[in-house]
Amino acid sequence: MSAQTTKGRDFHRLTTAWNIAFHAVAGIFALLCVFPFLFVTIISFTDETTLARNGYQLFPEKWSVEAYTYLFKAGDQLLRSYGVTIMVTVIGTVIGVVFTALFAYAISRHSFKYRNFFAFFAFFTMLFNGGLVPTYIIVTQLLGLKDSIWALILPLAVNAFYIMILRTFFSTMVPDAIIESGKIDGAGEFGIFFKLVLPLSLPGLATIGLFSTLGYWNDWFNALLYINTPNLVPLQSMLMRIENSMQFIMQNSQNASLSVGVLQSMPQDTSRMAMVVLATGPIVFAYPFFQRYFIQGLTVGAVKE
Amino acid sequence: MIRKKRSFTVALSLLLAMSIVLSACGGGKNNSEGTAEKPVELIWYTIGTPQKDVDKVMAEVSKYTAEKIGVTVKMSMIDWGDYSQKLQVMTASGEAVDIMFTSSWAFDYVQNARKGAFMQIDDLLKEHGQGIVDTLDPAFLEGSKVDGHNYGIPANKELPAQEVWRFNKQYVDKYKLDTSNVYSLESLEPLLKTIKENEPDVYPFAVDKNQMPYVPYDYVIEKLPMAVSLDTTDYKIVNVLDTPEMKQILNTMHKYYKAGYIPTEAATMDSMTDVQTTGKWFADRATSQPFADNLWSASYGYPVVSTPASDAMIYNWSVMGSMQAISANSKYPEKAMEFLNLLNTDPVLRNMVDSGIEGVHYKKASDNVMENLDESKNYDMPTFSLGNVMLTYLNTTDPTNKWEEFKKFNDAGKPAPLLGFNFDTSKVTTEIASVQNVKEEYWAALMTGTVDPETYLARANDKFKAAGLDKIMAEAQRQLDEWRAANK
Amino acid sequence: MGAFGRFFKNINKNAAMLIMVLPATLWFIFFSYLPMAGMVIAFKEYRYSRDGFLASIIESKWVGLQNFKFLFSTNDAYIITRNTVVYNIFFIVLGLVIAVAMAIMLAEITNKRLAKVYQTGMFLPYFLSWVIVGYFVFSFLSLDRGVVNQVAGWFGIDPVNWYSDPTYWPIIIVVVFLWKSVGYNSVIYLAAIMGIDKSLYEAAMIDGANKWQQIRNITIPMLTPLITILTLLAIGKIFYADFGLFYQVPRDSGTLYSVTNVIDTYVYRGLKSTGEIGMSTAAGLYQSLIGFVLVITSNGIVRKFNKDNALF
Repeated sequence: MSAQTTKGRDFHRLTTAWNIAFHAVAGIFALLCVFPFLFVTIISFTDETTLARNGYQLFPEKWSVEAYTYLFKAGDQLLRSYGVTIMVTVIGTVIGVVFTALFAYAISRHSFKYRNFFAFFAFFTMLFNGGLVPTYIIVTQLLGLKDSIWALILPLAVNAFYIMILRTFFSTMVPDAIIESGKIDGAGEFGIFFKLVLPLSLPGLATIGLFSTLGYWNDWFNALLYINTPNLVPLQSMLMRIENSMQFIMQNSQNASLSVGVLQSMPQDTSRMAMVVLATGPIVFAYPFFQRYFIQGLTVGAVKE
Repeated sequence: MIRKKRSFTVALSLLLAMSIVLSACGGGKNNSEGTAEKPVELIWYTIGTPQKDVDKVMAEVSKYTAEKIGVTVKMSMIDWGDYSQKLQVMTASGEAVDIMFTSSWAFDYVQNARKGAFMQIDDLLKEHGQGIVDTLDPAFLEGSKVDGHNYGIPANKELPAQEVWRFNKQYVDKYKLDTSNVYSLESLEPLLKTIKENEPDVYPFAVDKNQMPYVPYDYVIEKLPMAVSLDTTDYKIVNVLDTPEMKQILNTMHKYYKAGYIPTEAATMDSMTDVQTTGKWFADRATSQPFADNLWSASYGYPVVSTPASDAMIYNWSVMGSMQAISANSKYPEKAMEFLNLLNTDPVLRNMVDSGIEGVHYKKASDNVMENLDESKNYDMPTFSLGNVMLTYLNTTDPTNKWEEFKKFNDAGKPAPLLGFNFDTSKVTTEIASVQNVKEEYWAALMTGTVDPETYLARANDKFKAAGLDKIMAEAQRQLDEWRAANK
Repeated sequence: MGAFGRFFKNINKNAAMLIMVLPATLWFIFFSYLPMAGMVIAFKEYRYSRDGFLASIIESKWVGLQNFKFLFSTNDAYIITRNTVVYNIFFIVLGLVIAVAMAIMLAEITNKRLAKVYQTGMFLPYFLSWVIVGYFVFSFLSLDRGVVNQVAGWFGIDPVNWYSDPTYWPIIIVVVFLWKSVGYNSVIYLAAIMGIDKSLYEAAMIDGANKWQQIRNITIPMLTPLITILTLLAIGKIFYADFGLFYQVPRDSGTLYSVTNVIDTYVYRGLKSTGEIGMSTAAGLYQSLIGFVLVITSNGIVRKFNKDNALF
């Protein structure tokens, strides 16, 4: 009630009670999401034997950086992998957003005669695919991308899901009047797209950019398939390789040669957690760059008078 | 060449044709290749964590092999967890490979031999692999035949499998327990009881979801309940869950579970590595090889002792523990066989592949003993996966009679009844898929003693029946009878 | 080149649009449509030929619908289909409601800095693999050392053997799924709310509409096209399940299969030992076909109401 009186006619603001309620719901959910991540970080700094004995603890008896020492043993490999990942992510996201935006914009326009055909053309690929082996043959034999950085970039560049989302953004966010006014001013289709449509669609583009960035950042499977050269192995792939192999060897612990020969040189739980920290840390810092496009003063514009 | 009735496939595949044509260019065989002056390159895929110095060592290896047999070697290592999947995609897409690692537990040998991933090497072995035939215990080549033919070369290593009970020596000593009389699962009981009563923090019997109680049966397919008795005379395939031995064992396991000897969540535990790290366990079961106690003790950091739990038997899966196969599309199969022959007979080559370059990665302590140097961290290979292990130099810590003991162990092994018989599942793949799902549903809970076999066994068997286990067994029996008739 | 130049000069509306769709279209041809030829493997007993993939396909034996049979051969067929579809319906409905609600809350919260912090936090589960999530769930639900049983013990409640009691798993699965996906999905809606023309709200305020009326009459209607599209796309995947969620999180516990076995885990377990590519391709084709039929149907229904909200 008090909010109503002090803010006068500002209907756009929530009442204090609702504001508090929203804070509580969003805050508690966010906390539930952050907590495991904090826990992961703590476990990654726990001593391995302590962990095996006591299980996961918020305040471990004994701390240790052993897990990180193990991972950093790879040394320059780790740095190179960061480099590969960043390069792939940046180039891939740029290509991906450009391809996606062009295609999505075209099929969002009523004036485009074949819009439904192309929408279907894209949608169809979301459901049907030929499977791993045919794709592998196209990439390695037809396109000759084996052991090339493009084998990490191209297979993820376009995604029909993003196209469908972005098309919806274009058709709901960009009023027809703007495009018409552009035409009256004599701008071409590309001019309208770049000068008028894109600036209006920044939240949508940022969403696709973010998803695409995360897709590239987290991808490890393409590297498993196409990359043999250690110089081109991205971060997640390097970490997943270790993770998969630990899992595999544990599951085959009955195998005498494997269990005695190999298991002992493998890092354990703490290293897994350290891997998550190493792989996620940098990208979390990149997050705010995108975030400003989808959380910003909704109210600023509304109450400017 | 392409028949008319297949034109539908052709039409569908037409898009792909382009790629194949393009990629097929540039092949072409040259007869003058494969000499010391003009060696051919063999591409070799093997399992293990990729090592930094592989290329460096292979350059050395290539110098040696070019001289000897006119080949150079390019080795690609694929890490443990990725190997099966990557090789599956590569072979299915017909990628150029010459030699690849295969086994019963990674990139399944029998399955891929049947699908045509490997070259049949009966003749190649005779012509270019005589050294292998002479070195290997005949059981290796006999036991790794698929439908009567060889498709891979087993590594000369431990041949039979022997089950043992392992004990954490600390507790054996502390309570002055006598392990010499332990053999059957039942005979463990007094020991487990002692531990349970005195050491509340210790798992008396460390069992995880991979637990397979030992029963004297030879399984047709690993972990599917079809088997023949080890001392069978009529080679009748039975449902192992119906046998008195299995029933007794499952009852005992359930008794142990209720008594608290077995970890409460054994049925969902992937492994016991945590417990092994802390040493908070007393007994478990494992597959052994000569001097395994030393290896285990060294690996855990505290002493482990073991006593036998079964005879040493030669099974298909123990024979196929580590193999090298020649790819079906290898351009130089003869050269590949020559190389494998050299790898399995020539100590210089074998040790170079295993330990790297002398003076860089290791140094020699005496004639057949070596010591790792610091650089060996850049070339740390899994010895057992790279051919004849009995040619490899001993470590300074190894007993000098290591390989003699291995030979003795191998000689003592008795062939299991199904050695050399490999079930062809292609007629019953549908049933296998259903039966596998039933197996996954009930197996771990039963085998770890978590559930009462009195009620669960019947339920599992009903579901197995509904899923078509009988049909699979009948098909297996038919193939087994044929195989026996052919191998009389 | 001359012809092309003249064609280009001829500025035809569709030509500009066709150029826009060209890059992604080429991509789709290479990375999606060419490999689709491989779907023929679903009707083959795939065996390798030494002459490469094409020869392998041609020489492999036709087996008709044999490869599809394992999906329907036992009672499990009903269980896996039911589980897959029912879970997905819950995921679609609850996921939608919660993600939209969360997006609206974040957009309305007056303190933008805190809103950003919350939103970043909600995103973090996306980065944890299912294996890791599985560990966490285990640290809560473990019989002996799990947090839940310990807390229950303080209140004198008997410990529950979570991993062998299917009763609670439908809820656990849904909660874990929502926990992991809400942050990611709410971003889309949040961005859509940002894109809503501010003048609509100003007009509403001048008319004296309160916050709830604004949300009901502006925000939600403006989100409807996006909600429709995302729901349609989700319907297409209704026969697919997230393997990790149903395999790693319940720790592959056999006693829970009645509520955790889904098509993807069934196929994985069934083909583990035979590795038949034909059968896995068949399973994928089956999942896609059903999804395709459902999307086409629901898209047709959507078109009846509002052509603009339909996929195509």
